[in-house]
Amino acid sequence: MSASQSAVRSRAEAVKVSRTFDYLILWTVFMVLIGGYHIHYMLTGGDWDFWTDWKDRRLWVTVAPIVSITFPAAVQACLWARYRLPFGATICVLGLLLGEWINRYLNFWGWTYFPVNFCFPSNLMPGAILLDVILMLSNSFTLTAVLGGMAWGLVFYPGNWPIIAPFHIPIEYNGMMFTLADLQGYHYVRTGTPEYIRMVEKGTLRTFGKDVAPVSAFFSAFVSILIYFLWHFFGNWFSQTRFVQST
Amino acid sequence: MKTIKDKVAKLSFVALLMTLSAAMLYTPTASAHGEKSQAAFMRMRTIHWFDLNWSKPKVAVNETMEISGKFHVFAGWPETVDKPEVTFLNIGIPGPVFIRAGSWIGDQLVPRSVSLELGETYSFRVLLKARRPGEWHVHTMMNVEGGGPIIGPGKFVTITGTMGSFRNELTTLTGENLDLETWGLSNVYFWHGLWYLIGVAWVVYWIRRPVFVPRALAVNAGKLDGLVTDTDKKVAIIFFVGTIGIVLLGMGQANSKYPVTTPLQAGLMRGMVPLEMPEAFVDVKVEEASYRVPGRAMQMTLTVTNNGDVAVRLGEFNTASVRFLDPEVYQDDSGYPADLLADAGLSVSDNSPLQPGETRTIEVTASDAAWEVYRLSDLIYDPDSRFAGLLFFFDENGGRQMVMVDAPLIPVFI
Repeated sequence: MSASQSAVRSRAEAVKVSRTFDYLILWTVFMVLIGGYHIHYMLTGGDWDFWTDWKDRRLWVTVAPIVSITFPAAVQACLWARYRLPFGATICVLGLLLGEWINRYLNFWGWTYFPVNFCFPSNLMPGAILLDVILMLSNSFTLTAVLGGMAWGLVFYPGNWPIIAPFHIPIEYNGMMFTLADLQGYHYVRTGTPEYIRMVEKGTLRTFGKDVAPVSAFFSAFVSILIYFLWHFFGNWFSQTRFVQST
Repeated sequence: MKTIKDKVAKLSFVALLMTLSAAMLYTPTASAHGEKSQAAFMRMRTIHWFDLNWSKPKVAVNETMEISGKFHVFAGWPETVDKPEVTFLNIGIPGPVFIRAGSWIGDQLVPRSVSLELGETYSFRVLLKARRPGEWHVHTMMNVEGGGPIIGPGKFVTITGTMGSFRNELTTLTGENLDLETWGLSNVYFWHGLWYLIGVAWVVYWIRRPVFVPRALAVNAGKLDGLVTDTDKKVAIIFFVGTIGIVLLGMGQANSKYPVTTPLQAGLMRGMVPLEMPEAFVDVKVEEASYRVPGRAMQMTLTVTNNGDVAVRLGEFNTASVRFLDPEVYQDDSGYPADLLADAGLSVSDNSPLQPGETRTIEVTASDAAWEVYRLSDLIYDPDSRFAGLLFFFDENGGRQMVMVDAPLIPVFI
């Protein structure tokens, strides 16, 4: 067979090869996302995502969406612009969550015995689906950045509240009030994570009283828009096909 | 050339196999917390732990034990470590093998960060409830913001039983009785499982069709019609509306099920009450101090004045949790970790009772392998070559005087 001949001999064979190629690429992309996005999120979101006693209404709400919209934006830029596939954000989050759950279950629980109800990951799926649908329906990265980025930031806290609400029930313990999440952080000793490292409930939003979560979410949503723009350019840049001119 | 390449390849392969085998077959147990690798000056010149007691050497799962004692916050705190304005009384254990059921400085529960005063001495206790069976090294520990963990002495404690029987039962202020080990876990699994399935459904909807090659060809050719159909848009709208609906429904349900929730509790606790230590009537001046590298011994020339009304003798020098004792004056029966106890490591040129009003210059030698084992001899490589420690003088009535010493240290190499 010469280089100019086709590797397949019929349309059926071509379809079969194409599907095989699809699954190979999807598997590879998924694995790369599990690794890449997971490392990125652990390095930037880290403890806010690891522990219930970091999942507060100010900084977790602010930081987690901002640092997590990165890969979805980049992968969307590639999959939509090159293939008109609107699942870039969702596949990122599927990879991230699978990697996180493997890590939390095998390492945090299986290796170091932190209860899973103390170290479960944040839920990013609602924002991912909204981001993908907005891109698909608008066919505009600008609109997706503005509306999708906004939705990504705004939906994060309500999307997680059903999971973390049970850990915000108050309890009296040795004469002090804790939430159950605080008590988890106190009970389950993290030798390398002293309490002062915990960045929660810090800031200057006191004038909003108890309603700081929406304010934090709006700020997060605004910055998520900017980060979406930036990372969509990265995705676009990385998905360019370039050829070296022969001499 | 080819022969050389083959040999290199073969030897590399053998080396790789040996490395892998060694890594798999040699897995020694890690049984300490790196306290020996912490800079000597950090251990000598920051927090001095003393009068420590581990209440039990062996506990069953669900039983409690307590570590109690005192710590002195060194007044000559090194410049290179941030002052202990934000600190946390921690415990050095390999993960949550115990749960920290309580920790107190004085009578104050300290679940949060606290501010400590230089030169003060505090009492503390940490109550631990056994959770995971095994033999664990349990250290005292104080984390200092900007300084890192300052680890104290460690002692092995054995936990017996099975972890499956561990319970962490509590009653909330809203009346729920729960086990914190498993509280909310099925809810976590439900919501994560539900959202994961929704995400999978969205991706599967798209990858049922050819994904990459035909779509890339169509996009490159500008033939975008048909890549996203009207049905696709309807499905997308269903996912969009469904997502928002589930989020709102979940939030509403959570709010009705848990109407009383509070924010995470945080904040620095100030005003820790120090121990009221009796004023020391023994005055100590360090004339000179040297560390003999070959002999693993530290020598001090001290001028000691007894301003009290009872005779005293020097019985202990405590630095970096290593205790050097003069057995003729004081013997420890507290069960202090043996590797940190030089029970005959202190010798004094003239340790006869120092009478009230008397001043005497004495040569004190603290020698033990612990200087090397605990890498305290590395002090000579520190940028600020000073030592510090606690001297304990004892009187015949059982009274004890604690005196802090802090002075330059000269290494002796020959």
